[in-house]
Amino acid sequence: MTDDVMRFFATWLFTHEAADEEIKAAIRRGMAEGPEGMAGGPDAFVDGLAAMVEEEKEQLKRDLEARARGEEVAIEQQSDPALDEVRFEVAELRGRLDNIEALLEAMLRKLGE
Amino acid sequence: MASRSSAIVRVTLGELMRVLPSARFGLAPGPVRRAAWARALRRSFERLGPAFVKLGQLISVRPDEFSAELVAEMQGMQDAVPAVPAAAIRAVITREFGAEPEVLFATFENEPLAAASIAQVHRATLAEEYRPVWGETLPAGAEVAVKVVRPGAAASILSDVEVVRRMALRFAGTRVTRRFDPVALVDEFAATVDRELDLRQEGRFADRFSFDFRDDPKVQVPRIVWTRSTSQVLTMEFITGWRLSDLEIARAAGVDCKGLAIHGATAFMRQVFVYGRYHADLHPANIFVTPQNTIAYLDFGIVGYLTPEERMNITQVMAALVYRDPDRALRYSEKLGVHVPPGHVEPVRAGLGRLLDGDVRPDGTRDFAHFGLGFLKLLGEHGVAIPSGYGLLIKSLATVEGVARALYPEIDIVSTAQPFTTRILGQAMGDPVRVRERMPAAVRAALRVLTE
Ligand SMILES: Nc1ncnc2c1ncn2[C@@H]1O[C@H](COP(=O)(O)OP(=O)(O)OP(=O)(O)O)[C@@H](O)[C@H]1O
Repeated sequence: MTDDVMRFFATWLFTHEAADEEIKAAIRRGMAEGPEGMAGGPDAFVDGLAAMVEEEKEQLKRDLEARARGEEVAIEQQSDPALDEVRFEVAELRGRLDNIEALLEAMLRKLGE
Repeated sequence: MASRSSAIVRVTLGELMRVLPSARFGLAPGPVRRAAWARALRRSFERLGPAFVKLGQLISVRPDEFSAELVAEMQGMQDAVPAVPAAAIRAVITREFGAEPEVLFATFENEPLAAASIAQVHRATLAEEYRPVWGETLPAGAEVAVKVVRPGAAASILSDVEVVRRMALRFAGTRVTRRFDPVALVDEFAATVDRELDLRQEGRFADRFSFDFRDDPKVQVPRIVWTRSTSQVLTMEFITGWRLSDLEIARAAGVDCKGLAIHGATAFMRQVFVYGRYHADLHPANIFVTPQNTIAYLDFGIVGYLTPEERMNITQVMAALVYRDPDRALRYSEKLGVHVPPGHVEPVRAGLGRLLDGDVRPDGTRDFAHFGLGFLKLLGEHGVAIPSGYGLLIKSLATVEGVARALYPEIDIVSTAQPFTTRILGQAMGDPVRVRERMPAAVRAALRVLTE
């Protein structure tokens, strides 16, 4: 989810290479402060976020270039959390069936005694 | 049952008599006296058996309702009880599966690995391979730990719960219980015990945690063997490692304690902030560090749950802690069910401010336990009822801090939460509705063009 949002901002930033001076300044400040600087209050937080978006934009550029060269792009290989969740639920169901089967076997053994 | 309640009274009185001299027959200063009473209660609980041991564990996580002396004493409660003879454990297994342990497993060790209040653990090896819910298949011959509920534990615990409930009803409304509602405590206690008596519950939590940490090779959770589990027997992967209490040996074996402390604390934050499900029964005996430099979680008896909304509010409280902002901490605590009566808001805020200023250790790292437990105590002093989930989370965070500090004394638990809180707040800012509110008009126009 966050990755999508960041991608979205990055796309936006990318298509606005002529980003206004304010954003450029925020990015510079955010880069200079590093991640720790984000704890400095709401403004510092926005600067930090701007810097993160800038990094994502650079990554996007690299991804686009990579795709143009016909390479795989990392973000497109990430597994889908929703799909994983379904996979887990199916596996859990299998676990319950194993458990019920064991109970049935136990009952059969006891009946056979 | 009447004889059981008189036995309880007899044991407790007996222990109280033993500490009378050290309390100077009630004339010693407050803390000394309270510590002596607490010691007597802890000893009687240990003697009275599993139900009381669990009750003590519950008290140890409620610093909001009980004195600091009692909480400290109950935290040190020994859960080690004499082992049940192997024959009795084997009988449980045979009753549950209709077959002897040797038929069910390739090997089964009669010598127990551990004996705790509710269950006893034995080693065994799998007769055939098993594909667990998550993770790789366990091959035939794999070592497993078989956790078995002690015979008679369920019956004796449930009847003790009844006795305790009756006593609680009798005490309700007397001076002893001014500060808390004993009946509510007993209900919570009964629920905890109920959960622990069905081991399948624990197995399901374990599976869920394996899944949550599927992409974290440093966090290990025993895989459950469902074909060898029932409500009374839980078979799981055997974990080789050292308890946190045997850290010196682990260190000597080359385990990266510092790395594991940071990773473990981060993993906990991830449980809280990302999944909203967390292991709430952490104590040094439930965590192993392994020779492969991983952290293994054992015993999922108590799990805390948080809704997305609660997670957001907790994030804000953590942010308040980072920014040292008492107003914000109170505002979002209110949303989590902490209602400070109007007349008390000022003193509570002032007290909170002092706590926030005072939570730094000499080495400059923040002391979460001091802040968190101090906050619960402060709320208690002002008659604020604390939602049990809130208390549980604070206690768990304080424990994680304690555990992480045992591994690596300089760790700053608050800063391990920071990447998560930052990200969650960022995510909320990324919420399209919020973004529209916050971005300048020109940017909004650009967004509109892009999204349409
Ligand atoms: N999968 C495992 N691999 C290795 N050892 C284990 C495993 N499970 C349990 N043990 C050992 O058995 C001990 C008791 O297990 P556990 O904590 O699950 O029991 P419990 O009855 O729930 O205890 P408590 O009263 O502390 O909640 C552990 O501290 C550990 O030493």
